[in-house]
Amino acid sequence: MVEAIALSKSFGPTVALQDVSFSVGKGEIVGFLGPNGAGKTTTMRILTGFIPASGGEAKIAGFDVFESPMEVKRRVGYLPESPPLYPELTVGEYLEFVGELRGLSSRACRLRAGEVMERVGLRGWEARILGSLSKGYRQRVGLAQALLHDPPVLILDEPTSGLDPTQMVGIRTLIHDLAASHTVILSTHVLSEVEAICPRAVVIGRGRVLAEGTLAELKGKAKRGAWTLIEARGIDARALADTAGVDQIEPLPPADGWPAFRVMSRVDVREALIRRVGSVGGSVRAVEARLPTLEEAFIDIVGEEGVTLGRTG
Amino acid sequence: MSAARSVWTLWKKEMRSYAVSPLAYVFLGAFLFLSGLFFYLGVSLTGEASLRVLLANLAVTQLFVLPMLTMRHFAEERRQGTLELLMTAPVSLSSIVVGKWLASLSLCLLMLAGTFVFPVILAYYGDPDWGVMATSYLGLVGVSCGFSAAGLFASSLTDDQVAAGLLGIVILLPFWLVHQADALVPEAWVPSVQQFGVLQHLGSFQRGVLDSADVLYFVAFTFIFLFLTFRSLESRRWR
Repeated sequence: MVEAIALSKSFGPTVALQDVSFSVGKGEIVGFLGPNGAGKTTTMRILTGFIPASGGEAKIAGFDVFESPMEVKRRVGYLPESPPLYPELTVGEYLEFVGELRGLSSRACRLRAGEVMERVGLRGWEARILGSLSKGYRQRVGLAQALLHDPPVLILDEPTSGLDPTQMVGIRTLIHDLAASHTVILSTHVLSEVEAICPRAVVIGRGRVLAEGTLAELKGKAKRGAWTLIEARGIDARALADTAGVDQIEPLPPADGWPAFRVMSRVDVREALIRRVGSVGGSVRAVEARLPTLEEAFIDIVGEEGVTLGRTG
Repeated sequence: MSAARSVWTLWKKEMRSYAVSPLAYVFLGAFLFLSGLFFYLGVSLTGEASLRVLLANLAVTQLFVLPMLTMRHFAEERRQGTLELLMTAPVSLSSIVVGKWLASLSLCLLMLAGTFVFPVILAYYGDPDWGVMATSYLGLVGVSCGFSAAGLFASSLTDDQVAAGLLGIVILLPFWLVHQADALVPEAWVPSVQQFGVLQHLGSFQRGVLDSADVLYFVAFTFIFLFLTFRSLESRRWR
């Protein structure tokens, strides 16, 4: 449904994208992950036809973005990073304008506006002036705008930024429901969002695709692999490291007074650890096998430099 | 979607924005106040039953008012991020430009229509030359078309609307001042240089002469600036 082949983009001497390729199938939700400045927004702008690529190809529903922009634009609903609202219009006037801009008749427009407002939780807000809305509501209007013409492809640039946790869950549920009938690409740097709604993700950093795959595949790229958390008293890290099968031990910050350790091993060492603590007369409060989190995988894929950048936003 | 429909959609939206913006009312009020002043001065100083002084001065007023009315258009769209909405909608860039231009022109014609009260007053007290008055108004319509296109162009160059407004005036001033070109260029060039000036062409409208060359001047003026606006927006996508 969406295909990017070796996209590149330079702004003067600055290279923003380099050889970015990926494809998204019909009905898929794909997360675009990456620190700020990684090239997520640039990629989305190229896909929607807002800016042309310097090289490569982008196709949406079989139409080339550069050669048949009108066909592409008709099929894409786009929520830019900041919702494109006219502060002087009301919600109703705005949706009417956007609908007409996208070729809906004024009757279809009113009908669809009602539907999407219901869907994003804006019922009864027609008469509100856009300039007076809070960030969360502005975001909802932005989303309503993208859904208005019922496009098969949705491109959402950080759809949940600025929302409170309840609204975030609401919007995620909505996006999840939309996936039944739409192809969705969404960018974010909130990793839990990707875990919650995207079965597959593309990691972008410094203008390149660093990794692509299902979440399990991405997690497999974490350098640390699986590990075991143990909270135990009466034993130190060196003594604990004597356990058979343990490769390495790192002390972690204590959890309510209980010393905690990160145990790296290639086999399941949970039972052996409990025995070892018992053998020196210590006590165990918890032993837990941990899989690498998406965050750890992300840090390993993007690299430390990217993460410090990512945290600032 | 047909181009005419997108132009209409844009026009409606811009008119709506004007209707709720204080700026439009301030300029409408100021424009009508100045017209009243020019009318009074013109009639009382010359003792003629004509709008000659009023209409000549309105052209100067437009030089300043039109860039102010158009400065918002693309500068604000860019600053608000709504340009991204327009450019990713299935409408052509040229219909966006034309829709916005028609909206500023409409507001401008509305202002001119506000001055129709003065011919009515003249008709009551005297016997004005209607032909001259009609061509004078036609000249002002030409000026409105051209100046709003130039203002729109200025607005497409920057995302700061005040800068866009001032830039618009700066772009238009040479077309005005070129009339006094005799101080700057060799005497032999003066007539040809003056051909670029607005006053040269507006002058014949105000004398009651309807010459196709003058009409063509304003048509070309408008077209060139609309085209430049289009090109400037188009080229900005590439940077």
